[in-house]
Amino acid sequence: MPTMKVESIKKNILNKIGQPSSDLVAREVHTKEKYMEILYINTISDESIIHDKLLTPFFEIEDQQDFLTFLQSHPKILPFKDEQKAIEDLLKGVVIIFYQNFIFTFDSKANLAKVTSGTVVETTVQGPQSGFTESLHTNVGLVRERYPVPELTIESLSIGSISKTDVMLLYDSRFADPDTVKKMIDFLKTVHIQMFQSGEQLLDSITKHNRSFFPTMLVTERPDRSAVNLSTGKLIILVNGSPFAVIAPSVMKDFMSSMEDIYQTYWVGRFLQLLRFVGFNISVVLPGMYVALTAYNPEVFRVQLALSIAGSRTAVPYPAFVEVLLMLFMMELLTEASIRLPKAIGPTATTVGGLILGQAATEAGLVSNIMVIIVSFVAITNFVVPINTFSFTIRVLKYLIWALGTIFGLVGVVLGFLMINAYMVKLDSFGVPYLTLLQSKPKN
Amino acid sequence: MIFSRKRHWFILILSASLILNGCGYKDIDKRFFVLAIGIDPAKHSTKRYLVSLKMAITRASREKPTDTIIVSAEADSMGEAVRTIKTKVERELDFSHAKVIILVDKVAKSGGNSGIIYWFTRRRDIQEVAWVAIGKPSAVRILHIMPKSERLPTNSLLLALGEDGSETPYIIPVYLFELKKRLIERGLDPLLPIIEVEGKNLFQINSAGVGNKSKIKLILSQEETKMVNYMLNMESKSAQWVERGKVKYIIDTQKVKTDYKIITPKGKKPYILMKVSLKGRLEETSRRITNGELSKYEETAEKQLSNEMKAVLIKLQKANLDPLGFGLRYRARHLNKDDWEKWKKIYPTLDFKVKAKVQISDTGLIE
Repeated sequence: MPTMKVESIKKNILNKIGQPSSDLVAREVHTKEKYMEILYINTISDESIIHDKLLTPFFEIEDQQDFLTFLQSHPKILPFKDEQKAIEDLLKGVVIIFYQNFIFTFDSKANLAKVTSGTVVETTVQGPQSGFTESLHTNVGLVRERYPVPELTIESLSIGSISKTDVMLLYDSRFADPDTVKKMIDFLKTVHIQMFQSGEQLLDSITKHNRSFFPTMLVTERPDRSAVNLSTGKLIILVNGSPFAVIAPSVMKDFMSSMEDIYQTYWVGRFLQLLRFVGFNISVVLPGMYVALTAYNPEVFRVQLALSIAGSRTAVPYPAFVEVLLMLFMMELLTEASIRLPKAIGPTATTVGGLILGQAATEAGLVSNIMVIIVSFVAITNFVVPINTFSFTIRVLKYLIWALGTIFGLVGVVLGFLMINAYMVKLDSFGVPYLTLLQSKPKN
Repeated sequence: MIFSRKRHWFILILSASLILNGCGYKDIDKRFFVLAIGIDPAKHSTKRYLVSLKMAITRASREKPTDTIIVSAEADSMGEAVRTIKTKVERELDFSHAKVIILVDKVAKSGGNSGIIYWFTRRRDIQEVAWVAIGKPSAVRILHIMPKSERLPTNSLLLALGEDGSETPYIIPVYLFELKKRLIERGLDPLLPIIEVEGKNLFQINSAGVGNKSKIKLILSQEETKMVNYMLNMESKSAQWVERGKVKYIIDTQKVKTDYKIITPKGKKPYILMKVSLKGRLEETSRRITNGELSKYEETAEKQLSNEMKAVLIKLQKANLDPLGFGLRYRARHLNKDDWEKWKKIYPTLDFKVKAKVQISDTGLIE
């Protein structure tokens, strides 16, 4: 029987890890002669190794003393040093074995890099290139691997009246706001979806709550982004069968940041961030601005530009706002089509649509040269935004500015921009103001 | 569902309003951009003016550059002329890029034109940063000038007057707002550059006209224009001719600065102390000048510069014109109720003292 000392160490370790973590396994293993307790985290430990290298010998070696000798002589099994080390090891995928009066650690780290695939949506030039997988188990492991902290809390839920999909809520209990956690759990419990397949569905159901224009949850495929967000007190939702994690609360600055900002040098990172904000504004405002400036206030241009726009528009039969709408619509179709197409045909669509159609439309006198430049500018700046859900929002928003610009001219553009800003000021994501950076959290 | 029906109506009305384009909406290709405005005296009728508008014809093709069309109308007022011209063209006139306004010298020299001058500032679509100039011999001929170097119509005039292109002290560009100020302000008189037709397809701007509140009275010569330019502290890049005995030399100026004070001592004659400092290097000489001799040549240049400047000041004084704004300076620093009356008495009797300081940095050659 284990002594008091071993017993107290066990208790301490369990207390430290004691957050309700659904992937922590504490098991007693018995045979007639022997008794052993093992403690490990199943998402980062390879259970087949544990089975082959530890449990099988345990049942095969009958003698107590022989098994102890086995443990002591196994190259991967090391004697216990201290509690702190044991906890750190445990969070890295090591099994802690309590046998008689001895404590051992057994290295059974799972090689998660083998199962992960590369990032597809949020690619970066530098930094980690691996993304989440479709297995919930592995995904939790990937987060654990990058965030080996005893305070990482994992709560397990299931959503979907038919699908009963497993969902895990991860957060760091030190940093996460308990109010937000409560709000999130309440929200997850009230979600009524028959078939729950992916975290993006949550996005949809939360926007139905308040009909939000902007996403208030961030969908990412990057484990490194999830880990970084955990350390800032955010909540991560992992859904079984989806290679995307949902991060909440998420605000504007999260949607505008790429993981690369961290991996680049300071000034380069700041420059890239500035570039994205500028791109965001251009993408939203430019179509409306074009209509407003050409049809209401051509004095804003320099003479040269005014004349060349007027020149390129002479052959165009429709007013500027129809021209803009036509080209934007074509661009949207092109974007939409190239997502749906198989990878092998994708480039054909862009060539046919972008080059041939654009060129032909200009030559046929359907749209002006300048318009083609503007539309491509809008499209490019749109893709500068690193998070897809957010760039989709911009795709919609620019029509609002376009409409206001068409009706009210430059005043309309300014008004529309103000309206968007006012809306963002009002918006919050699980209690966090949307324009955090500029806004601070309201105190109640 | 009453609520959703309301919303449908709202969307319907909104989308219907998109089909209508309001009165403000006018596509850029449905506008005629007026680039320059010329005003001549009428020839063929009893009306007062012949107003000509130079408009750009825009083309889609890259090979043919933008062409222009000049449309004229005779009228008694600008408003009338523009309305008449509108009946002659098919597109809406847009004055937002009208950056050059040319008054022919005959019109500028006759009085009673304030109506048309104020028309420009009253129109909200004419930019206040348009340049105003006097044209010789006729405004229409200047509008017709298209130098070979010009890709966009009137661009050569814009570059010359705006000093984006050539930098010369012989051009004194005057903005519309500045002309307005000079017309209204007591103690600051109108000053306009003069554009002359030169040869077949060139223009020349090297003189200026000074006037009182109603008409141009004095035409300054090229060198006088330069002196006025120095005193307005507008352009430093110039050349100063000096003669010392038999030696003629030219100073390429890098910096010219002037400053003046109006001094009214009690019981004595009031005078204006004008200080000029000129820095430059020798550009051309008729005889070899060494570095050691430079101070002598500086002295001569100082004398000559102060004499030239004084002559211009006296000329302006004799004509009772004040384009440099001495009167305004006097009014700003003498807070009496009758300051203007006093100044009108003082100005004709003023003395001018010019202190010139010339620094020639080097001969421009290695000795």
